[in-house]
Amino acid sequence: MGHRFGRILTAFALVLAAGSLWAHHSPSAEFDMTKRFTLVGTLTRVDWMNPHIVVNIDAKSEGGKVENWRLESNPPSWFRRVGVSRAEIARGIGQVVTVEAVRAKDGSLYGYMQKLTLADGTSWELVSGTEK
Amino acid sequence: MKNTFFCVLSAAALLPAFAVADAPKTAHPDLSGIWSYAIDLPPGAIKKQANGSVTVQKVNRGAMVATASIKGALPSTPAPSYKPELQAKVKDLFDHESKTDEVFYCGKPGVPRIGPPRKIVQTAGEIVFFYEDISGDPYRIIPTDGRPHRADADPTYYGDSVAHWDGNTLVVDVTNFVEDTWFGENGYFHSDAMHVTERLWRDGENLIYQVTVDDPKVLTAPWTMAPRVVKPSTEPLEESPRCVEADANRLVNNDHHGQR
Repeated sequence: MGHRFGRILTAFALVLAAGSLWAHHSPSAEFDMTKRFTLVGTLTRVDWMNPHIVVNIDAKSEGGKVENWRLESNPPSWFRRVGVSRAEIARGIGQVVTVEAVRAKDGSLYGYMQKLTLADGTSWELVSGTEK
Repeated sequence: MKNTFFCVLSAAALLPAFAVADAPKTAHPDLSGIWSYAIDLPPGAIKKQANGSVTVQKVNRGAMVATASIKGALPSTPAPSYKPELQAKVKDLFDHESKTDEVFYCGKPGVPRIGPPRKIVQTAGEIVFFYEDISGDPYRIIPTDGRPHRADADPTYYGDSVAHWDGNTLVVDVTNFVEDTWFGENGYFHSDAMHVTERLWRDGENLIYQVTVDDPKVLTAPWTMAPRVVKPSTEPLEESPRCVEADANRLVNNDHHGQR
């Protein structure tokens, strides 16, 4: 019997030597795994939903226009089982936060969140779990 | 006065007999309890930094395919045997899984794809399975009192179940499925004739879950999957967050990973 969150990890392990990333689709089919980028903006919403949580960030483009970015990440059941609740992240709503992510290949304002840092320096990062 | 006293004594003497009559006639193993989350989660960990401290919490993955032989398990094979004329269809479904699999779009996995239950409540005449699934949180109320399958039920994702004990193993017989589901990740479609047998038993503190699928319209023989070992859990069941598929229109090719 296969499982919804199963074999993707092998692919991720091959693609991302450091860090873990999950999707219910092949990551390379949606995200440019070679380009990790950093986004600084206001956390406006945290959608704690399946199959991926999604955080919403309003960030200014180089031209100064405010853009609404949506960054998905691992499933809520995964975050629950590493001890992270929605409330911990949602307390950052309204703050200027920093997100590291890989961007959707279709060029939309969408990505897969690898790391989130709140204004007070608290951060969460997806890692493989084997590093020291 | 004397008669009243005698009557009270008689009633008291009968109480143990009533208690015995209410108990199950045969002592079966108790499968009741909370069991580990059955969906394989990504491995990996979260690295949290706060107030100068760094913690790394690995994900607890609880219901795994058995890696060692399990006492009482049936022989299993890695894949079902489809009729030759249907093998290309299976491959095509799997190759385009991100377009053809309802589970990819938050659909119900059905039995047996949903896997072992997260919680079991066992009574004398019924056993109840509770699940946490990203598509929702179904339950199954399964008679164990010898009732036959319902004759009037419409087909469903989780089918119509009746169960009996075979020694220490609970054998759940499931029929009457809709045809929309797959019984495994690799495009394993089925017909309305699918017949699923789930076997559950205790192995020490663990629950063992093994499934056999038969569908004479599409398979050349019944398929028995490898048993899964489910650890006991203390995590209470929680309502699963709503499921909204948002990635499909961003996929640039058919690459995908296996689902449940």
